[in-house]
Order: sequence, then structure tokens, then C-alpha cells
Amino acid sequence: MIKEQLPILILAVPLLASFAITLFARKSKIAAFALLVGAMGMSFVFAIGVMRQILDTGRVIHYHIGNWQPPFGIELVIDHLNAMVLVLVSGAAFLTAIYSKNTVPAEVPYRFPGEEVPERVPNYYTLYALLVTGLLGIVATGDAFNMFVLLEISALSSYALLALGGGRAYFATFKYLIVGTIGACFYLLGVGYLYIKTGSLNMPDLKVILTSPALAESPTVMIAFMLIITGIWIKMAFFPLHGWLPNAYTYASTTTSCLVAPLMTKVSVYMMIRLMFSVFSAHYIFDRLGWQNGVVWLAAAAILFGSISALGQTNLKRMLCYIIVAEVGYMVGGVWLANADGLIGATYHILSDAMMTLCLFMAVGAVIYKTGDASLYAMRGIFRKMPVTSVVFVIGALAMIGIPPTCGFFSKWYLVSGAIEARHWGFAVALLISSLINAVIFFRIIEIGYFPLFDEQEGEGGHHAHDRAVIAEAPFSMLLPMVLTALSLIAIGLYSNEIITGLVGRTIPAGLL
Amino acid sequence: MKLLSLVISLTLGFLLLLATADLPDWGDPQSPASIHVSNYYIENSVEQTSVPNFVTSVLADYRGYDTMFETIVIFCAGITVLTILRRSHRQKKKEVRPRPAREGKDLILISAARIIAPMMQIFALYVVAHGHHSPGGGFQGGVILGSSFILLALAYDLETILKRLKERSVIIMSGIGVAIYMGIGMICLFLGGNFLDYSAWSSVLGVSAVEARSHGMLGVEIGVAVTVMYIMFSLYADLSSGGEMDEGL
Repeated sequence: MIKEQLPILILAVPLLASFAITLFARKSKIAAFALLVGAMGMSFVFAIGVMRQILDTGRVIHYHIGNWQPPFGIELVIDHLNAMVLVLVSGAAFLTAIYSKNTVPAEVPYRFPGEEVPERVPNYYTLYALLVTGLLGIVATGDAFNMFVLLEISALSSYALLALGGGRAYFATFKYLIVGTIGACFYLLGVGYLYIKTGSLNMPDLKVILTSPALAESPTVMIAFMLIITGIWIKMAFFPLHGWLPNAYTYASTTTSCLVAPLMTKVSVYMMIRLMFSVFSAHYIFDRLGWQNGVVWLAAAAILFGSISALGQTNLKRMLCYIIVAEVGYMVGGVWLANADGLIGATYHILSDAMMTLCLFMAVGAVIYKTGDASLYAMRGIFRKMPVTSVVFVIGALAMIGIPPTCGFFSKWYLVSGAIEARHWGFAVALLISSLINAVIFFRIIEIGYFPLFDEQEGEGGHHAHDRAVIAEAPFSMLLPMVLTALSLIAIGLYSNEIITGLVGRTIPAGLL
Repeated sequence: MKLLSLVISLTLGFLLLLATADLPDWGDPQSPASIHVSNYYIENSVEQTSVPNFVTSVLADYRGYDTMFETIVIFCAGITVLTILRRSHRQKKKEVRPRPAREGKDLILISAARIIAPMMQIFALYVVAHGHHSPGGGFQGGVILGSSFILLALAYDLETILKRLKERSVIIMSGIGVAIYMGIGMICLFLGGNFLDYSAWSSVLGVSAVEARSHGMLGVEIGVAVTVMYIMFSLYADLSSGGEMDEGL
């Protein structure tokens, strides 16, 4: 019995946890933390269960909520693609939940510096669980309107979590709130037009109706597609719609950045892939509309813009934020290359980029937690003071640059070969330039971390500095998820063949092979 | 920048006009939205759920999963406002932005509010309970209930009402509301049905599967009403006092 109910349990458990924290853990930080970690862990286990079920049977799971047949009721549809994303979201949320033990009580209760409101901590955990529920729901659903409702939940809770950074985060989040709401409105408007033209909201049903010849020429359907895609691009901060992202994510508290930065943009990329190929079709988008060339150029611009902006940052978190803007360009470009290699690269990159971003944000978060400084110079002497954190950072950096055997190499390999197959040299060159810029960015940081600054060396006289450096490593609750994330980067890279043939490769829609 | 905004707005407006050109005529009985799924709801609602108001049956049963998350959106909004605005008790005295002080109590306002509030509340309960047969339901009933308390808070002051309706219980009750909805859905799993399949309740309630769906909908509507009522009041309390929970407006 439990086997059939696993799909709904993946998101029901975090949701129940959010109520349980509100009802029973209002006074106790530890109880709230324990409920959150327990729920995220269970959700992760269930997600793995669903993935195993799909790998064993090879069949798509349809779960009818309320036992109504689609298209009359809402169904969850889980195939190879979203099984992987479900495992990713629940896994990353679980790791970040463990990570939050020390950082949340240290940062979240302060409304402004010096003004402490202890009630904020349990509420923070409630919102955390709601955000994860929303993301898992977006990934699991097979209904276009239900996706909007869950998008609202994830957006609303992410605004709250980002604003809880305090201080400047309020204003940055307010801007994000306006922009994000516009994005959600675009999506809703697009789904509304689709409903007027088809009378259905169920994704497989929509696809059948939309592929009928009567609707192929309809301008309404085309504009619906434009609105939906633009809405999602706003949500994923695709250049030039990325303006809200750097500030919103930079001023957020450490745990929020670790949770929101890897997952929100990646789930939006998933949404784009799902809607492009499961509601519309590859034939409609690439053959009828034929915008792929322009979009891939835009993606190349996003990559160059993101990478070059990242190069100019002195704040570690802001630098990572611009790298996210570049990475979104990788994935959008990969999908719109309109061939199997590009889509495999983009889909695999959802997984690998989420874990790389998580790894780097966790490492940077640990540095900020210990030094209280978010600038590049917080990394001074980090290899001596925080050896584990710095190794984790280096692994994340290597993956971001794309050095084998980390996962970043394999996604770039597929993306570049997809670009070559599509004969889109601009995108291929942008990918290579971005890798080189990443190498410059990260080797510069590693250099700052490895060698003491020149003026310090002068002043303190060489070896004296070495003697006085003490190990001041982050607490175990932060190190454990960090190390696990770093290991997963290597594991995802080593098992890239299995992941691509077993999961990612199974999701290539007809018409792209 | 202004010019860019103008260009974007005009382009969007043009696209939306272009999209409407292709839409089916207003009220066309042959439009896709009127012939695909909606006929199924109209024809089968009574037979399958024993609820004559098929707006309610679509909202709370066929697409009950959406409605559950809509309720959670409200819950989430309440928690968000509370978490961001709420100030600590210790720094309560520190005034950030002075508000005009209240001058005495208005007899006419208070007397009117005292008569109106109970009537609103009884009407709200009717709206919640009668949602199956007439327009209404949990959201509407909850809003009316919540606004009856807001009316009292405006007529007296926020502190007086907060003595009756404790801040802590407001949060807990709003959580209980969504938990009722979720709980009704989760218990279906243990009774052998899918999530939110109210017909699984028939063995517990001792009624037919169709009748059980109707009862399930009443249950979730009550959950919705509880959450909406408390969150409405909580939003008012936080926003009107700037998160200080003092006398308010």
C-alpha cells in the first residue's frame, strides 16, 4: 500500500512538518529543528523510493489525487526526469536543514542589528518546510494550474525567507517580490489562454489537444507560450530578466542562500523543460516557431554577462550569484539547442549545478559564520584555519570550472557537443570563455586562501604567521552536510554514465533524436 | 528607462490584443472551455458527490488539491507578515513611527459594532455550512468571520480584542485550520484511498461513498474557514500596529 502512496508522501511529509512546527514547536528551537530535519530526511527517502520504482519498472507513475480520473481531477505524473529532480530537491533540502542548526539561531532572530525577536526561528522553519513543499509539488505535478498554485507557495515562502536576512534584505526582497509576482502573473495569463483554447489543464491532455492541427496556427497559443516562457524566465533570472537575483540572494541569511540559490532557479529550469516538451511539443517549438537561434544567442549573452560580472565582485556571495546567472544561461541554451545532446547536458546540469551551487554556498556560509566577513579577503589563510571547509570549497570550485572527475565536466561536455552538433559556435565559445573565467575567479580565491597577503607577510615576518595560525573550523553540523555535498559532486561525476543512460537519457522527447 | 517601459507595455498590450482576436466568442456554448471538462462536472456532480452546487464540488473535491494549497498560501502569507513585522516584547516601548493617539471611545461605533458582530458571525457560519447548496464556502465564510473581529478591533481597540483572542492562539488556530484540511486528506490514505479521496471515509462515517464525499467537503470547508478567519485577523493585527500588537489604529 505504501508503495502506491509514495508520490504524495514525498510532499505531504514536509507539509505536515510545517504545521507541526507551528503547532508544537513554537517555544523550542531544537524541537523545530528536529522536526524539520526528520521530515526532510523522510521526504528524501520517499523520493529515492519513487526513483527506484521508476528505474525498476521503467514506467511513468500516475497518481490520481482524490481518485478522480484526469483530466477531471489533478494527477501527479512522475517520470525519469522529475524523479531525478525530486531526489535532488529533497536531498539538497535535507542537507541544508542539517546545516541550518547553527546558522539560523545566529542570524535569523535579528530583525535589525541589536533587535532580537526569538519567535522568528520556529517561523523560519515553518516557512522552510513550506518552501520545500512548494518546490517538490511543482516538480511532481502533472497539472498546469496546480503548478501555478505551488509556484505561489514556493515564491511566497522564499520572499519571507529572503527577507528574514534582516537589514538590507528587506528592500532587496521587496524588489524581488514585485518582479517575481509579475513573472507568476505572466505564467497564469498564459495558462489562462491555454485553458480558453483547449478547455483543459491536465498536461498530457493539453499536449494531445495542442498537437491537433486546428490549434497549430493559433496566435493565442503562440502568445500563451510566449507568456509562459517569459514568466518562467523571470523566475529563473535568465538574462536580461535577472536584475532581482544578485541583491536578493546576497543579503539573505546563510541558510536561506544555501536553500534558495541552488533550488529555485533549477526548479524553474525543470518547469521550462516540462512545459516545453510535455505541454507543447518539440515539433511546435522548434519547427513551427523556430526561435531557438535567438534564444541560444541570448543564453550565450547570459553566460558571458554572468561570468564577467562575477569576475568583478569582491563579495563572495554576490560573486556566486552572478555565476548562477551564467549557469542559467548554460541550461536555457542547452535546452534550446534543439538536439538530444544539448537537452541531456541541460538536464544533467540541473542536477550537477544545483549540487555545485549548494557546495559553494555552504562553504562560503561557513567562512562567513566563522569570520563575519563576506568579502574575498575573508578567505585569507583559510586553508590553515578551516582545512575541511577549504577542501570543500576547492572541490566545488573545480566542479564549477569543469575539471574531471567532478560533475561539472560532464555537463559541459554534453553542452559543448550539443552546441557543435547544432553548429552554434557562439554558444560553444561562450561556454569555453565562461569556464576560463571561472578558473580565474576561483584560482584567485584559492590563492588568497593559500598565501597570506603580501603586506601581512612583510609585517609579521614569514614563518611567525604560520606558528600563530590556529585551526578554527566550523561546527560539525555544518561540516557534515558540506562534506556530503562535496562527495556527491564527485559521485555524480563518476556515475555520470549511469545517470545519463538510466535517467536523463530516458526523457528525450520524440523529435529531438 | 521610461521610454523602455513604454515600449515594453505597448508590445505586451499589442500581444494581448492579438491573442484576444483568436478567442472564442463571449458565452459561446461551443467554446472549448464549455465542452471539454466542464460538462462532466455539471452532469456528474450530484451523482458522484451528492453536492448540487458544482462550483463547490469542483473546488473542494475534483480539484481539492489546488484548494488545499490555496489555503496554505493564505497560511503562508499570515506567517510571513507575522514573522517579518512582529517586534519583540521587550522593545515594545520603542516607538518607531508615531501614530495619532486614540481619543476616547465612540459610543455609537461601539454600540453598532456590538450588534453587528454577532450577526456577521452567525451569517458566516451559515455561509460555511451551506456552501454545498448555495454560493459560499470556507473562504467566504472565513473572511466574514475574520472581518467581524476586525470590526470589533476598530470599534474598541486592538488590545481589548487581543485579550479575548490571544495572539498565540491565533497562530495555533490558523495552523489547525490547514491541518484539518490536510488531516482529512491524509486519513484517506490510512483508510485505503488515495490522498483527498473522501469516499474512503464511508466506512468510518457509516454512509455511502458518495455521501462521504459530501461530508468530506464540509470538513475541509470548515478547515479553510478557520484558517482564513484567523489569518485575516492576524494580518490586520500585525499591519495596523506595525507589528507591536498595541492599541492599533
